[in-house]
Amino acid sequence: MNDQTYPSRSGWIAGIIVTVILFVLPVFLGNLGKTGEYWIWVSTEMIIMALFAMSLNLILGFGGMVSFGHAAFFGVGAYTVALLMKKADFPLYLALPAAPMVAAVTAAFIGWFCVRLSGLYFSILTLAFGQLLFMIVFQWYTFTGGDDGLHGVPRPEILGPINYYWLCLIIFMVCFLVIRMIVNSSFGLTIKTIRENLDRAKFVGINVRRYQLLNFVIAGAFAGLSGGMLCELNRFAQTEFLHWSKSAEPILASLVGGMYSLAGPAIGSSVLIFLKIFLQQVHRSMVEIWAIFLGVLLLIVVLFAPQGLVGLYQNIFHKSRS
Amino acid sequence: MSDPILSIQNLSKSFEGNQVFNDISFSVERGELSAIIGPNGAGKTTLFNLITGALVPDQGKVIFEGQDIVGMEPFDIVRLGMARAFQRTNIFPKMTVLENIVITIITRLNTNLRFVRHWNSSKEIKKRAFEILESVGLADKASHQSGTLAHGNQKRLDIGVALALEPKLLLLDEPVAGMSPEERWETVDLVKDLWNQMKITMVYIEHDMDIVFGISQIVRVLCYKTLLAEGPPDEISANHQVIEAYLGEEV
Amino acid sequence: MTWQLFVFMMINGLSQGMLLFIIASGLSLVFGVLRVINFAHGSIYMIGAFLAYSLSTILSGQSLIGFLILLMVVPPVIAILGLALEVTLFRRVYREEHLLQLLLTYALVLILDDLVRVIWGGEPRSVARPELLAGSVDIFGMALPSYNVFILVVGPMIAIGLWLLLYRTRTGNIIRAAVSFPDTLGALGVNVSWVMTSTFMLGCWLAGFGGVLTAGLSNIDLGIGMQTIIECFAVVVIGGLGSVGGALLGSLIIGTGLTFFQLPFGRWALVFPYALMALVLIIRPWGFFGKPER
Repeated sequence: MNDQTYPSRSGWIAGIIVTVILFVLPVFLGNLGKTGEYWIWVSTEMIIMALFAMSLNLILGFGGMVSFGHAAFFGVGAYTVALLMKKADFPLYLALPAAPMVAAVTAAFIGWFCVRLSGLYFSILTLAFGQLLFMIVFQWYTFTGGDDGLHGVPRPEILGPINYYWLCLIIFMVCFLVIRMIVNSSFGLTIKTIRENLDRAKFVGINVRRYQLLNFVIAGAFAGLSGGMLCELNRFAQTEFLHWSKSAEPILASLVGGMYSLAGPAIGSSVLIFLKIFLQQVHRSMVEIWAIFLGVLLLIVVLFAPQGLVGLYQNIFHKSRS
Repeated sequence: MSDPILSIQNLSKSFEGNQVFNDISFSVERGELSAIIGPNGAGKTTLFNLITGALVPDQGKVIFEGQDIVGMEPFDIVRLGMARAFQRTNIFPKMTVLENIVITIITRLNTNLRFVRHWNSSKEIKKRAFEILESVGLADKASHQSGTLAHGNQKRLDIGVALALEPKLLLLDEPVAGMSPEERWETVDLVKDLWNQMKITMVYIEHDMDIVFGISQIVRVLCYKTLLAEGPPDEISANHQVIEAYLGEEV
Repeated sequence: MTWQLFVFMMINGLSQGMLLFIIASGLSLVFGVLRVINFAHGSIYMIGAFLAYSLSTILSGQSLIGFLILLMVVPPVIAILGLALEVTLFRRVYREEHLLQLLLTYALVLILDDLVRVIWGGEPRSVARPELLAGSVDIFGMALPSYNVFILVVGPMIAIGLWLLLYRTRTGNIIRAAVSFPDTLGALGVNVSWVMTSTFMLGCWLAGFGGVLTAGLSNIDLGIGMQTIIECFAVVVIGGLGSVGGALLGSLIIGTGLTFFQLPFGRWALVFPYALMALVLIIRPWGFFGKPER
């Protein structure tokens, strides 16, 4: 079985332990003053980006569709929250749910065209649409603030750093379970079948485009939610959220973590963010060459461990067992 | 008396100016077990592609169950009750044998849009899947990753996937290609048994004349861009044109 | 719009298009033969531009000879960089899935772009144009910037050179065969890996050449790699992946389109390449000159 979506008993136990640790983590960090606050912020970002990576992996790992425009939905979610809260005075509990909805509508529009293409052409069209959206946000000063972005997104008073961390963690947990459910459902099996052999899938009667589009929309919705969450964390939305280099982040995370596993992309994303900050702590100038470091890491993964960290771990684990 | 399940009418197809078929017509009777033969390059697989919607003919009609299906999407044609197995093994290699069959049943039942329950939670689907695996002799390999099966077993799984669609018409493209002699006859017996039990109309492409003349009711010969001959095996094997054009060259 | 303005903008747009063609034709050729979309093509081009800048500071003055030396030296250096990349990295992923190939080239973007920043810093740079090309020339009684006219002369020369190479030499025949029938090449007794390496070097040579020309045309900064690779994508998508003639058409459309749309739309003109790229992909994904892949 190549898709690692069926947790064993030890998997469950590990999951519960990790969950508990994640929930009590900010309590400890809260006592560490400034450093602790910084790490709470970092952890919140990790959780959000983990959700973004998992959303991409619905189409990338499970659907076999390589999108270079996924940040478009992330950015649309972020701008939805920023615009609704800043310009329309929406409260967060209405603005945040609106993010995945607006992102889903955007994904439905873009996806309707994209799923007509496959392989490389699909990738390039997602890139084109993503950059198109980026350019529109970039140029439309009066509405989006252009390259200044939208700053000063209000934060409800009750949501201090720790509370916001918990909110994000709960949202993440729910999304994780929902994504797991989707992946293991009949629908999940359908999209995996399409990934395996698109042409043959048609000959078992699967309306390929329809399910690819639906999957694209679901992934877009989760990306939009994560974008909205990051917008509220940073209290701003900026054009970089839609840029294609942002689209590459969850791809890298999925590759590093392992595309065919459920938690792999989330782990990969967290590992990458942690590495970046770790390097920064080691020496400030290390961040200067972060991209080089990331590039070299990516080269190594592509050339030597295309199954990702999870795959690597499984290979070693299986070898040691047999 | 005549009750065609499939009728090809005046079909023509060219690729970049090269004509593959010129005005070809024939009908397949319901319940028939028939073979399509022809020299390499006669367009046998292309014919299947035209029938199943993988390719669109330049001209002509494909009437399946009284409906012209030219221009329909392959998956819609499958839903009307036409299934095919492929010459080159064409399954879902990283999924288990069971998953291969289950997704096909799910699709036939049109329950792909269930999001909540695990796909293997339906007892009926599982039971049906194991019946099919039983009938193609793969029940004991249900949990194997299908890409790791031996070639012969992959071809059987391919047939199993087609059967899981519970088709009225089954098109088999060289079902025994690449098999060892023993495997060949096992598979031929399997096909014949399935045909006997399930009362499916079957059309298969085959090169092995022993098999073709051994089990077919009707043999059709494709050659020179057209249907050269059509009839019971003994008639075909005595047909001078066929012998000249095809058998003489190959045997 | 007066006709003088029209001619002026046409010269401007066409020279931008020609410059883009020089770069994009390299991307297209490499895709045609190697079947890899090289995201790092823009970064390689950027290295060419910055290398030209560094070399120009050594070669003093604004002499034409100095500029010609840049054009002679930088592209081959970039081609050798390409040789190194192809032999050590690209070669290992030809048989892998698209995704891994794309990620490999993307990793190179990360590394090369950051290297450029580390080596040359973030400030915009430029190469002084030689005096002969710095002014303007009188054509039809109009003063046209001579550097743009120079690009308009050099661009078609490159195009013709490529055409001669592809259609009049044995190497070109092999490259074209590789584009059309990638599987059969080995059977013809051709050293496939040599064809791939030299094509990749040619692609890099073109990127380097475009880099030198850009450094003389306008300021170069760390963003030009990204911006150019996306424009190149638009070009090859419009023209058809792998088609050099298509790249010419696509480049001229993008170049003139960008220039002319600036009048009515201002900054919004920058949306044009992406919109056109999306439109072409939707209605004719294989481009105007490409063949549908089956």
